[in-house]
Amino acid sequence: MGKNGLFIAGLAALMASASIASAAPPDDTLVLGISADATTFDPAAISSRDNSNIAKHIFGTLYEVSATGEIVPQMAESYKEAPDGLSYTYKLKPGLTCEDGEAFTAEDAAYSFNRAADPANKFTGNTPGFVYSSIAFKGAEAVSDLEVKVKLGQKNPVSFGLIAEVFMHCKNSYEKMSLQDAATKPVASGPYRLVSWDRGSKIVLEKRQEPATFKTIVWRVIPEASTRTAELMAGNVDIITNVAPDQVETINKSGVAEVKSVAGTRRIYVGFNLRDDFAKTPAGAAIQKTDVRKALQYAIDVPAICKQLLNFECTRATGLVNPPNANPALKPYPYDPDQAEKLLDAAGYPRGADGTRFTIKMQAPRGRYLNDANVALAIGQYLSDVGVKTDVELLEWSSVYVPLISKHDAGPLFLLGSGGATWSALYDMTDLSTPTAGTNYTSWSNPAWFDGWAKIAAAGSAADQRKIIDQMLDVFYNDPPWLMLYFQPDFYGVSKRVAFAPRRDEKVYLFDAKLNK
Amino acid sequence: MWTFIIRRLLQSIIVILGVTAISFVALQIGGDPTYLYVSERATAEEIQQTRVALGFDRPLYEQYFTFVGHLVQGDFGTSLSYKRPALEAVLEALPATIELTLFAMIFAIVLAIPLGVFAALYRGSALDGSIMTMGMLGQSIPSFWLGIMMIMFFGLYLRWLPISGHVPFLVPLLQGHVVEAFSQLPMALYYLVMPGVAVGFYSLSRNARLVRSSMLEVLGQDFVRTARSKGIPEAAVVIHHALRNAWLPVVTMVGLEFGFLLGGVVVVEMIFSWPGIGRLVFNAINQRDIPVVQACVIMLSVIFISLNLLVDLIYVRIDPRVKL
Repeated sequence: MGKNGLFIAGLAALMASASIASAAPPDDTLVLGISADATTFDPAAISSRDNSNIAKHIFGTLYEVSATGEIVPQMAESYKEAPDGLSYTYKLKPGLTCEDGEAFTAEDAAYSFNRAADPANKFTGNTPGFVYSSIAFKGAEAVSDLEVKVKLGQKNPVSFGLIAEVFMHCKNSYEKMSLQDAATKPVASGPYRLVSWDRGSKIVLEKRQEPATFKTIVWRVIPEASTRTAELMAGNVDIITNVAPDQVETINKSGVAEVKSVAGTRRIYVGFNLRDDFAKTPAGAAIQKTDVRKALQYAIDVPAICKQLLNFECTRATGLVNPPNANPALKPYPYDPDQAEKLLDAAGYPRGADGTRFTIKMQAPRGRYLNDANVALAIGQYLSDVGVKTDVELLEWSSVYVPLISKHDAGPLFLLGSGGATWSALYDMTDLSTPTAGTNYTSWSNPAWFDGWAKIAAAGSAADQRKIIDQMLDVFYNDPPWLMLYFQPDFYGVSKRVAFAPRRDEKVYLFDAKLNK
Repeated sequence: MWTFIIRRLLQSIIVILGVTAISFVALQIGGDPTYLYVSERATAEEIQQTRVALGFDRPLYEQYFTFVGHLVQGDFGTSLSYKRPALEAVLEALPATIELTLFAMIFAIVLAIPLGVFAALYRGSALDGSIMTMGMLGQSIPSFWLGIMMIMFFGLYLRWLPISGHVPFLVPLLQGHVVEAFSQLPMALYYLVMPGVAVGFYSLSRNARLVRSSMLEVLGQDFVRTARSKGIPEAAVVIHHALRNAWLPVVTMVGLEFGFLLGGVVVVEMIFSWPGIGRLVFNAINQRDIPVVQACVIMLSVIFISLNLLVDLIYVRIDPRVKL
């Protein structure tokens, strides 16, 4: 081979390598770049959103929450709630099948519920750990071939929505499986089946039945945000999750992909810790006063924080409930530092000689929420600008901040995010179900709010219930235990090859994603 | 020789025990790990139940001795996040890291020797200056930055190399699928280029400088002058006389290199989505998955200690002056 031959061979090798390096997925394949691998495919052991997003393509649910927040049928076609609210009977769609070839019947549905609750299995996933404890699950039984009854220990207005989270699986296969096999070799009841799982690298799903647009879905695990961005821009993946805000412009300018942002359901707020022992300190005593807490709402320019620090245009929250379920009569507190100063003066906290009204500590996590440390520092500066000198303390999330929050020891001010939902105002409101609830991190105890729960339980109709909800949200707005901020945005990078609309609730469901013509 | 090996093995056990104790305490003083395994909505009772179930309510020394007791039986515990044996998770990730580390080490050694030799032979020339500038840059550039730059240039701009991912070679080989392993080798190497260079560039630079200085020292010695005066060709003088003697400090460095590279892959594995032990330990530390962190640390310690022992034995082989 002469020099020319060598050159051509080298060029061919280079071109071949270049084609492999930037091979666009085939038309029947959708490739996603996600930040974390699945840890299990046992439907009862799944606990993270990333894991659940993949599993939802493999396992069906009786009902499911739509992108717009309605609870719609999936494997079931209808349901009946018992008059006492202590059971739900679901009627399955006929003709459902499992991946193992068996028919999916009410026996399978009842088994799915009961298996997750079996103490011998020691499951700690979302179903037994959160759903069942919330609904006081008592068991499930097949009433007929196509009817399954789910029994609850107490009436709970959000039970129906929570049951929609429970993955259905097939009794014949799962009864014979070890827990180890169940974790790695799922038997599908949903539209896709698992083809392969290279831990840490990729998960491949293949279409089994409708509804499914793509024949193959590949979930590639790419932990580093900038690498996910590069893969998207190179055309190797179609959709990436968790785009870093500072990469939005780069992606949008690439011409091959764009960033779709959506206000998520996670509520980011600053809590006022109203516990008695905090009230003994000057700053803690100050925030006991409703007027002070209201005044501080005016001191923060939330849209500016969203725009500058999160690269997102947001509307300030009016309370703890996600739109569209929030009270429509309430308007977000505007940024009005003069009003904040007036209210603080009137509340008995004039500026001192050094311009300070009082000094307060604000604790915040570092790295838990989107740009949380900078958001906390900005809020601290806004509060200091109206004379409330704020010392921001940034803490490591898992080992320091979580214990503080869990013991209600954070504060007097603390930055926190709390997961919410689009399908029910009540779901969002259950953070404050009782004055002593574990999630009432502020120890707020306004009776006008907490008495509302009994009224909701006694409400005769949905309209009556809605009225009470709005009254409660009004109480929350006017005696705020939270300094209301925003709903954390989520950023998805989407190749121009595909059409994909992100949802607000962090659920990445690809049943409707399709190729752009 | 055998006395030496047995003595070193006993010392190794003490070192490994020390490693387990330090890493155990370091992870525990970070706070109560129970909160990592309960929902944000968990009640105080649920938190306490979980604490008891996971054994975090027991005194620290008791938790440690229980852990060591299990360790002796080969049980590193169950991963708190993966819900499977920690050792299994580590062993599954180890081959990918060994592939990356070996590639980086071979890259660093194979290029460092000629670069160092030429720099020494042409001392003070433009070639020497260029190689030493590269050496200085290589030791100054952080591997994560180099990795990102390579992704941008070779992956995104030129599109010559894959941006991320991994094609296994060792796993099929260890499973006895020899044909499959070797058929995948070209792709495995292709995916290894960028992460391997990012990991190995620092070592390449350091080794090239080391070879250069070692060569310069040897080239000025009498036996080299004698060899030249006997009319031996320059290539033979350099390879058989000078390089052989300049080789000793390099061997020491290469032995430690593998351990150093193993530790250095953490960030690079994250950047290139390489499913190895570095990424595993990074995630485990973030999630405070104590069994996995312990298993990773102990595994890396065992590898590092074994390599040190191996280097000592090789040293005896290549330098007759060294006696054990």
